[in-house]
Amino acid sequence: MDQRRFPLLYVLPALAMMTLVLFSPVFYGFWFSLFRIQYGAPTNFIGLGNYARLFTDPAMGATLVRTIIFTLSSVAITTAIALCLAVWINSLKGRFAFIAQMVVILPWIISTVVATLLFRWVFLNDIGLALSLARALGLPDLHPLNDPNGAMGFLIAVSVWKRIGYALIVLLAGLKGIPEDFNEAARIAGASDWQIFTSITLPLLKTPLLLVTIVLTLSNVNTVETPLVLTGGGPGASTRILPMDVFDRAFINYDLGSATSLAVLMFAGNVLLVLAYVRLSKWKV
Amino acid sequence: MKKTLGIALGLAASVVSMTLATAALAQDTTIRMWTFLNPTGTAPREVALAKIISSYEAANPGTKILVEPQVWDQMTPKFLAAHANNNAPDVIWVVTDFLGDAIKSGSLADLNELFVKDWSPERLADNAGAYWNLSEVDGKQHAIFVSRNYISLMYRKDLLDAAGIDPNSFKSWDEFREAAKKLTVTDAAGNVSRYGFATAFSEQQADPSPIIPQILAAGEKLFNDDGTANFASPTGVAAMTFITDLVSKDKVSPADAVSWTVDDLFEQFAADRVAMIQGPAVRVSTLQAKLGKDKVGLAMWPGNGTAEHSPAVMAGWAVGVWSGSPVKEQAGKFVEYMLGPDGDRVWVEDGGQVPGLLSTLENMKDFIAQPGNEFLSVAAEGSAKYGWLTPIEFSVGGYRQVLNKAAQRILVEGVAVEQALKDAADEFNRQNNR
Amino acid sequence: MATTTRAIPAYRPRVTLPPLWAIATSCLFGLLCVLNLVPVVWGILTSLKSEPDLFRFPPAIFDFTPTLANYERVIASGFLGNLQITLFYAVTTVVLTLALALPAAYAFDRFEFPFRKVLLLLVVASIPLSLGAAALLIPNYIYFTRLGITNAWFTLPLIYTANQLPMAIWIIKGTLEGVPRELDEAALIDGSGRLGILLRIILPLVRPALGAAGVLAFVGAWNEFVASSVMVDNPALRPVQPAIYNFIGYFGREWGPLTAAAMLGIIPILIIFVVLGRQIVSGLTSGSVKG
Repeated sequence: MDQRRFPLLYVLPALAMMTLVLFSPVFYGFWFSLFRIQYGAPTNFIGLGNYARLFTDPAMGATLVRTIIFTLSSVAITTAIALCLAVWINSLKGRFAFIAQMVVILPWIISTVVATLLFRWVFLNDIGLALSLARALGLPDLHPLNDPNGAMGFLIAVSVWKRIGYALIVLLAGLKGIPEDFNEAARIAGASDWQIFTSITLPLLKTPLLLVTIVLTLSNVNTVETPLVLTGGGPGASTRILPMDVFDRAFINYDLGSATSLAVLMFAGNVLLVLAYVRLSKWKV
Repeated sequence: MKKTLGIALGLAASVVSMTLATAALAQDTTIRMWTFLNPTGTAPREVALAKIISSYEAANPGTKILVEPQVWDQMTPKFLAAHANNNAPDVIWVVTDFLGDAIKSGSLADLNELFVKDWSPERLADNAGAYWNLSEVDGKQHAIFVSRNYISLMYRKDLLDAAGIDPNSFKSWDEFREAAKKLTVTDAAGNVSRYGFATAFSEQQADPSPIIPQILAAGEKLFNDDGTANFASPTGVAAMTFITDLVSKDKVSPADAVSWTVDDLFEQFAADRVAMIQGPAVRVSTLQAKLGKDKVGLAMWPGNGTAEHSPAVMAGWAVGVWSGSPVKEQAGKFVEYMLGPDGDRVWVEDGGQVPGLLSTLENMKDFIAQPGNEFLSVAAEGSAKYGWLTPIEFSVGGYRQVLNKAAQRILVEGVAVEQALKDAADEFNRQNNR
Repeated sequence: MATTTRAIPAYRPRVTLPPLWAIATSCLFGLLCVLNLVPVVWGILTSLKSEPDLFRFPPAIFDFTPTLANYERVIASGFLGNLQITLFYAVTTVVLTLALALPAAYAFDRFEFPFRKVLLLLVVASIPLSLGAAALLIPNYIYFTRLGITNAWFTLPLIYTANQLPMAIWIIKGTLEGVPRELDEAALIDGSGRLGILLRIILPLVRPALGAAGVLAFVGAWNEFVASSVMVDNPALRPVQPAIYNFIGYFGREWGPLTAAAMLGIIPILIIFVVLGRQIVSGLTSGSVKG
């Protein structure tokens, strides 16, 4: 066997699997999006006709902006909270650290639909636990999902709540990878805790932080279940984000042409985001 | 770790071999059916389906009905895709929204050819009605309805009795509003502890907006003949004003309903928080199971002065045979049985469904007259006289969602009613390429 | 940073937050405890309630008669079978993912070969694809139907394995970077084949990374919903997530059986995390995320 080629044998099985299940369907999806789709089957070739319809949709711009706001806020808040928690849990001892970690990751390991339904019922529904207690305490009726900003706020909050666990695990792993001697040396040199945190910990956490950022970005940009279950996109269009738009086009209006086109565009956007990440992190290929 | 892995793999292997064994044992004919009901489940309709299947299999040795339960909101789109790729199940349940698409795609076999042609005139007459007509296009019978959903006024019988209100007596929508006012209860702190009426305004799982009965009662159309929306007519504006005023002006309907799905609505209803809701006949038995048979009733919508009752939107699930099925004859035979007199009886008795056949209505008089079962005759009579089915000549996907969104915008953003309805019509037309 | 297992001194915190931050963070943790535990506890309580107790207003917290009826219903509907097949899917996914990812990661890290860079970028760029999008459901369904690989016992493990591969390759490659190449070379001189080196030298050293990637793959396979609801039809092949979702049906959301099924559905994941929780963190530590 050719010395230069034999490693290909090692990567081929994995790549073949990914080609079959991940790449080909995207190309098929793109091909599919170039046709007029009727009753679930492609009919005439219309080129970029489905895409043209997306770009002439007057609601599209606002949906895109909303998606960006939702994603940026969710990712920033999740990362910030997870970072604080990771440093804190990392400084705890033994069993309690483990229990704290388990508590934080709980929502992450429950399925999104069930977790969101439960959150909504317990905390936001006016016959749920929290608002009933508030009522019993004599507080006036609260309507958390009735206000456009409130609804978006809770959409972000639920997304943060659901995904902190993942961010925590990765950041905790990153923290444990920082050699103790670094901190020790800094401490001996008279650095304060805050100085150690900003000038040693943070720079050394660069890679895990970027990993967290990218995975969170992707999972937020693509989440259908969270807005669907929490708000249904309302009130008005205030919590309608792109993935929900795709879902409605496909399953409510049964417009598979524009749904698939939008999905393909979103994938392209996703891939660009990942490549941007690779660049930013100066990851060695 | 290794041990657990071994056990898991062992278990898995046994599952697979069991599956293979069942497949090998399969008798002469297996009929695949897609529905959202799981016959091994214990909900009333699931029990009814299991019963029908086992009695059919007992009467037809050599035939096996394989139910492949699906997620209900993806089932019909998936069926159409499966049809296009020649991989669809033999029997399929289609929701009214997609019935037109299913028929036009040629995915549904003509039941006339399969078995209706052999029917006596009596049996044909037994099936007659709006639902039967809806699924008959160009002389072909494409499907028969299994679940008839009459979406009208559901009420808490106990609460209305206590207030001395008869929901069947509303001559006008104003009378209805007065009743809703009477049923609204405010506690000492000034919070409303029970609302007179509610409907769910979320776009998620949207039911048809309650403005539709008023629009139709006035003789206005919801869709023009070319399939474009006719939401912002003066009647439409008046109806939407009426419904949103119940929330914002009359305070007899909850503001929270802008984010409620129908499931939220039923839970509020079950928690004594609302006395009357817009609710479908298919949910009465479920709610009776929660609250007691004597507490939940169904009434037709109020009249409007000219019509005795405003028409209710009807929806439901129709069952068809896939046109590409290799076992069309046998599949047809099963559909004929499932929706025939024997099957219909089980659907009503065990499943709490609205009767599909006029003879069932007649034969089960005593059952229907039992306290708590009156809703069956309300739905049956309503479907015959005061019902409206969404057109299938053109697709109307998304009409419920845009109307609910319009209500949300009026209630939350303060958009003018006419503007909100115009925007809804535009959005609907754009979504449907009209 | 080369070794994979390091003793972590327990007596001294490595990095600490400034006091004010520490207080704020503990408050935050307190809040999070409420937000995370209350819904789960509520879910457990709900699963033990009978129909009439479900929607009492104000809600019944403890004053109800607990019943196992919901669990009986869930089990009667065939849920144990769903759990069994899901276990099979998840375990197969983990085994296949690791078996394919390890050699791939090894080759990407150790050797130079044609298109190495491009292929590696392709792997990384496919992470978003592996999240699985509801959007492409119908085209995907048509694609898999045409290949004739829907509705079979291998359908879901195949899809899940491909979904988990990019992340697994990434994590394992990260760890391999820290394993000194001198080890391979020494073994090569001793006359071991490439495969022998991989299995006898590399495999034991990257075990934590395999553990981390394996657990992530397990959780991914266990909680997957979209593909499993569409790509298989036969009830014997249906995994837990669509079975749970079945209780949010066309005729209403049945909180009792829904929460009972959901609680049964998270037990295996909880066990995995309690047993292997530390493994994940240490596996990731030695792997892709080090600074």
